[in-house]
This record gives sequence, C-alpha cells and structure tokens, in this order.
Amino acid sequence: MSKSCFHCGDPIPASINITSNLQNMHCEFCCYGCQAIAEHICGADLSLYYERRESSAGSRLTEDNTPIFELLDNKQLYNQYVHQTENEHVIQVSLTGITCSACAWLIEKHLGQQVGIKNIHVNLSSSVATITWDPAQASVQTIASELQFIGYAATPYLPGEQYQQSRKEKKKAIIRLGIAGVGMMQVMMSAIAMYAGDLQGMDDIYRQMLRWISFIFATPVVMYAGWPFYKGAVRDLKNHHFTMDLPVSIGVLLAFGSSVLALYTQTGHVYFDSVTMFIFFLLLGRFLETIARTYHIGAHQQDALAAVKIKLKNELKTIPQQQLKAGDTVIIEPGQTIPVDGVLLSNTTSVDESSLTGEYTPITKRQGDRLKAQTINIEQQIEIHVENVGQNTHAAAISRITERALGDKPKVAIVADKVAHYFVIAVLITASLTYAFWSYMGESEAYWIMVSVLVVTCPCALSLATPVALTTITNTLKRNGFLITRGHVIEALANTNHIVFDKTGTLTQGNFSITDVTCFDLSLSKEQILSIISGLEQHSKHPLANAFCSFIPANVTQIKNLSSLGVQGILDQNTFYFGNSSLIQNIGLSVPKCDGANAAELSLYLANTQHVIAKITLCDVLRPETESTIKALKQQGIRVSLLTGDTLESARGILSSSWFDDFKTNCLPDEKWQWIKEQSNHNILMVGDGLNDVPALAGATTSLAMGASSDLAKLHSDAILLSEHLSTIITAISSAKRCRKVIKQNLIWAASYNATLLPLAIAGLIPPWVAAIGMALSSLLVVVNATRLTNV
Amino acid sequence: MESLFLLIPIAGIFVVIAIIIFIWAVKGDQFDDLNREGERILFEDDDTDKKL
Repeated sequence: MSKSCFHCGDPIPASINITSNLQNMHCEFCCYGCQAIAEHICGADLSLYYERRESSAGSRLTEDNTPIFELLDNKQLYNQYVHQTENEHVIQVSLTGITCSACAWLIEKHLGQQVGIKNIHVNLSSSVATITWDPAQASVQTIASELQFIGYAATPYLPGEQYQQSRKEKKKAIIRLGIAGVGMMQVMMSAIAMYAGDLQGMDDIYRQMLRWISFIFATPVVMYAGWPFYKGAVRDLKNHHFTMDLPVSIGVLLAFGSSVLALYTQTGHVYFDSVTMFIFFLLLGRFLETIARTYHIGAHQQDALAAVKIKLKNELKTIPQQQLKAGDTVIIEPGQTIPVDGVLLSNTTSVDESSLTGEYTPITKRQGDRLKAQTINIEQQIEIHVENVGQNTHAAAISRITERALGDKPKVAIVADKVAHYFVIAVLITASLTYAFWSYMGESEAYWIMVSVLVVTCPCALSLATPVALTTITNTLKRNGFLITRGHVIEALANTNHIVFDKTGTLTQGNFSITDVTCFDLSLSKEQILSIISGLEQHSKHPLANAFCSFIPANVTQIKNLSSLGVQGILDQNTFYFGNSSLIQNIGLSVPKCDGANAAELSLYLANTQHVIAKITLCDVLRPETESTIKALKQQGIRVSLLTGDTLESARGILSSSWFDDFKTNCLPDEKWQWIKEQSNHNILMVGDGLNDVPALAGATTSLAMGASSDLAKLHSDAILLSEHLSTIITAISSAKRCRKVIKQNLIWAASYNATLLPLAIAGLIPPWVAAIGMALSSLLVVVNATRLTNV
Repeated sequence: MESLFLLIPIAGIFVVIAIIIFIWAVKGDQFDDLNREGERILFEDDDTDKKL
C-alpha cells in the first residue's frame, strides 16, 4: 500500500522520498510544494490545522495569483476594490482551495499573525475573506503573497448586485424561520396547558389568558413569517395557476381568523398551535432547499477581478480583464486561461480546449489560428489579437444555447401542485354548501360547523407530506456527497430509466496517468527514467507534465520547450529529449515499433542523442467504479448511453461499447442537447462535467454535474455529485424510490384522514377542538414517517 | 395560581427579548456562514489550552 502525502493526501509514489520532521512527527510528502506549505504552516505554530481538517486533502501550491494585485497599483481600481478610512484599509478577496473550517481557521490565524493586519474574517460558505489592515505597515501585495505561501490563491472581489440581493433575502428567510420557530414553541406550550385543561377542567379565566398569550405569539408568525405564502397565493390568483401556496394561505388565514373570532366571542376553539407549527415546517423545508441551491456554486466568480497583460504601442501594460476590447493585443502566459476569442500572433503553441470540447489532449495552434475564450494556453507566452470579448465569445454563445435549452426543459409536474388546483375549489365549495345547508336548517352552530369542515379539510398533512420527505432525503443524500439543488430532482430520479454519461472527466478521471513504461536501454532503471522525465518536465505547464510531478526531479538544466514536439534538457553533460514520435524523427532516430497501439493512449519517448531510451504510455484512466456502476445500473433496467465529444477510436480505447446501449462520439455541445431532445423518453438523467455538457445538462429532465465541474455546469444542473463517486448515483436513485414510497404513504394517509373526517364534520358531529387535535396529530405522523428516510 | 398572571407575561417578555437579540444577530452577519460557525468552538478551545 502506498503512503499518502502529509499535506495534500495524494499517494506518494515509491520512488519519492521527501520528508520533514514537523512537530516531532516524521512527515512524508509527494512534492516539494507540499513540503514547503507544511513547513510554513507548522513553523507558524498552526499545525492544529492538520488535526482538525475534515479531509486529508490540503490545498496544493497554486498558480501564482499575486500579479493580479499589482493591478491595484492603479489608483482608480484601488479605490474601487479597497474601502479606505484614515488608518484602515479593507478589501474582500475571493479564495480558491478552501474546503472546510480548518482552512478558514488556518487563514485567519496565519494572516492574523502578520504585521499590520488588524482583522480578518473568512466566510466558508462563499469562500470570501474580508481583510482589514493598516496601510502604513502592510499592503495588499504582501497579504496576497502570505496567502500564496500557505497554498491559497486570492483574487480581489467586489460583491455584485445579484449577490447582495440574495444575501438580503437569505437574511430575511432566517429571521422568518427564527420567529416562526420561537413563536411555535410558545404557542405549543400554551396549547398543551389548554389540552390538559380540557381533560382535567380549568377555570375560564386561565383558559382565556392562555388563549391571549397564544394569540400574541401566533400573530407575528402568521403575519410576518407566513408572508411568502400569501405572496405566492396572490401570484397564483393572477396567473390562474394554483400551486400549494393557495390552499396553504387559505388554510392559515381561515384557521387564524376563526381563532381570533373565537377569542373575541369567547366561544369555539382556537387553532393557533396548528397554524404556527404548519408555517414553521413549511418554511423550514423551503429554507433548506434554498441553501442547497446556493451552496457550492461560485456564482460570485464573475465579480472577481481578473488581470490581463496587453501590448500597447510596444509597451506592456496590465489592465483588468473587463477593460479589454476588440483590436487589443493581449499577452497570455502558459497556464493562463484565454479570456477572449482571437487570432494567434505568435508562431505556435498548444491549448487545452477541454472546457469547450471535453477533449483533454492539447491541440497545437499555429500563427493565424483562431483561439477561443475559456481555453487554456499551455506551452509558451503568446500574443493574441483580440476579436471578441465578453458576450460575443464562443463560450458566451454556449451559455446562450443553455438558456434556450432551459426554456425547453420538460417540466416535471409536482403532484401536490396538480392536486392543489382542484383541491382548493372542492374545499371552498364543500364548506360554503355546508354552511348554507345548516343555516337553512336553522342551526345556530352553522358557522362553527363550517369552521370544522375547513379545519378538517385543511391540507396541513397533505401539503406537508411531500416537502418534509423531500427535505429529509435531500439532507441524507447531501451527507453522502449528492447535493440536490432543484426541487423536482427526487421525483425525477425515482422515474429515471435512461442515464446519459459524458466520457472525459465523468466516467474517466480527467487527467493523464502513466499506464506503462517500456525500457529499451537496460542500463537505466524505471525509476531513473521517470526521474529524468520529471526533471525535464518540472517547469512545464503542459497537462501531461502533472503525471510526472510525483517523481523526484533529476537535476536537469537548460530545459527548452520544443513547441508541439516535447522538451529537451541537459543532465550530466548528456542531452535528453522527451516528446512525441515526431520529436524522435526530428532528431534523426527511428521510432521503435510497438504493437497494439490504442487510440485513447498517448505514447511519448525519452531519448538521448544516440538512441531511444524508453516509451512511456499515458492514458486518461477510468474511475475505478465506472464499470461496476454501469453494470449495476443496467441490471436495474436503466438504459445507459454515452455522449462524448471525443473521437470513436479514443472512446473505444478505454470504454467497451458493449457497456452502453448508445455509443455516440464526436458530439458538439449543441448536438448533445439535440440528441437528448430527440429521445422519446423524457425520464433522462444527464451526467457531465465540462462546459461542452452545459446545454445537454440544462436540456435533460434531470442533470447531475460532477463536483469538479466548471461553475457553469454546476449552475445549470439539478444536482451535484460532490463525492465524485459514480456509485453514489445508484444510492441516490434507490433513495429517491424510497422517498417516493414515503411520499405516497404520506399522501394516502393525509387524504384518507381528510376524507374520513369530512363527512362527519359536515354532519356536525365533530367539535372544532377534536378537529384541531386530529390535524396536529396527522401532521406529526407525516413528519415522523419522513424521518425514516434519514438512513440510506 | 394567581402568580400565573404575572409569570406568564414575564416569560413572554423574555421571549420578545430573545427574538430581538436573534434579529440583531442576523442583521450583524452572524448567520452569514452556516457551514462554519458550528465548528469554530473546536478551534478556539485548543487555543486557550495552549496558552495555559
């Protein structure tokens, strides 16, 4: 069993031996970057971080993000991003790499120890830190580099209007929930006293006092906390489409109104307890749903400052990305995301277009070729002539397709809402007929009989039945790494009979690993070979270089990038080359013949000036659970399809087409969506990760994005697979089915309860207080039944 | 039993005070980060241990 890195938790290859003695512990690391961060953290006496963090994956040394802060040398920008008072400057930065509260603690402690930092607060939910410092003793740049030291990249950040708005609404929702909760408890206490009084006898004066107390606490709950329901009901009436909001509002207001009347006339029964409990549980369900929806989505990313370098009359200048315009010449460093559509002015480079196409193998671009926004420059510094910015780029076009797809989305009608429509009408007619009948019969209690009818038919249990079960299952699944962000997911998941997978990054791990090393020169061991390659690749931004970074780099000097071929460097006065077969031919050697070439695999060669030393085979490998998951899904009778942007050969290389019912390759983002739209079956679950999957994700009935997906993919999916573990999908589907069963039981119970008591109430046989107890108990039963869903 | 006429309203006043404090806390951003505050106590504890 291989050991794992003390800092980042990645497995350490056997050939690596980087150790430190920290806090009297022998610690091993996978690379020097992790060692540096861990030594820095323990050196500052913050090793508690390692004891407290939730996962063993620490943030690795990231891209150097500090140049962005140089932009703030510009006075105008500085004023925009930094709030200044006489001896205090405050900035908000968005951080990448934060995973749990230990990270937040580490950042606060570490920065807090620095000179001149007055205050720092890290918000874990939004990954935003607010930092206050004394401008005489510190600067934004020093703050940024301190964050960099412990492995977090910071970007200046200005909360946008939308974010401010959603924050305000969330605060209001919390206040409503709090008031409903506290109010409910108070009213319940009085109610229990009154129920006891009904059994044992109670002086009227005490009963009347308890009624008043209930009234006082129920009023803010009904008037303030319940407001969103009334707003929804008014909207329903305007749109002539009735949702559950309408019966809820009618039920609440009638029950409250008749209770007030009972209080005033001192006859009849009060229902303050049922009303407040009802409002609290419904609000709780809605609140949890909203939190889940906004959690883990970097919706605020667009508000972060991004820097680009441009060439202006042969002079280099750094400007904020938002100020780029068509016609500029922009300079992109290796590893940087290209922010615009444009034409390559430099000779050659290669780019990673995986965000658009899903294909991780870099694509070589030559002078005059078009480059697209959201792709990543890999090989060297390049100059680009800007053609399109912002909304006109190719990536923005994908977002627009997505919006269209969202509009076309097959609606999963929520059963409760469908029922609600007829339910409301039926209840109102029944109640008025009952009242009319008893008045006509000259019954003095006619009004109270009508109230009984309304209370009995009050859809408390009925309207709680679905949300309570959904809230419970949503929380249970979240603990298992399956985050639901839209309400209809459970119902749709339970019906799913067709799952569509993307390949790269979804079924595969989305990065290259070494699958085979063939040595032709037996004087060198496998470890030595990999160490030479690691030395050659140590400064490379090429995605392939990551596969080697876990080996100790040999001391290679004079490393040169050979564009679209590979690298060369000198070790112990010998020149080594590492690259593809064209490189080998270029230096005058012959490529060794090997059989069984696989299109999904990439073969690279290490050579010196005389001969080829070794062939390294790299491949984007499948997730370990892919095969078993697909087989298990098929066993349940679910149709499994593959839609990928890759070529047929490369998809065949690692996936067997016999696993799938449909095997579609070479799909453009638009085609993926079209294919899904053309399916006659509407119970499709789409699983994907990249920007190229976004339209398909938006268009499918239900969509699931992998945890490491692009922000846009997460934003447009109905659920996020945080665990990154495909077998969680099976758990989710079976949980959804169980949830549907519980909802059914709840609905049947609630409906039959209402249906049995209704005739009795119409007949005037049920006094209002019995109806109220019945209502409370039936609601409680529904809640208890739903808690059975907490176990997976 | 007459004491109830005094005690229950007093209890009510406490509830009102609690709600006011709650609203004040929400407005002061104390509920901004529901994922973190629950665990903060774990960290602070260890800190004081070290100082002792």
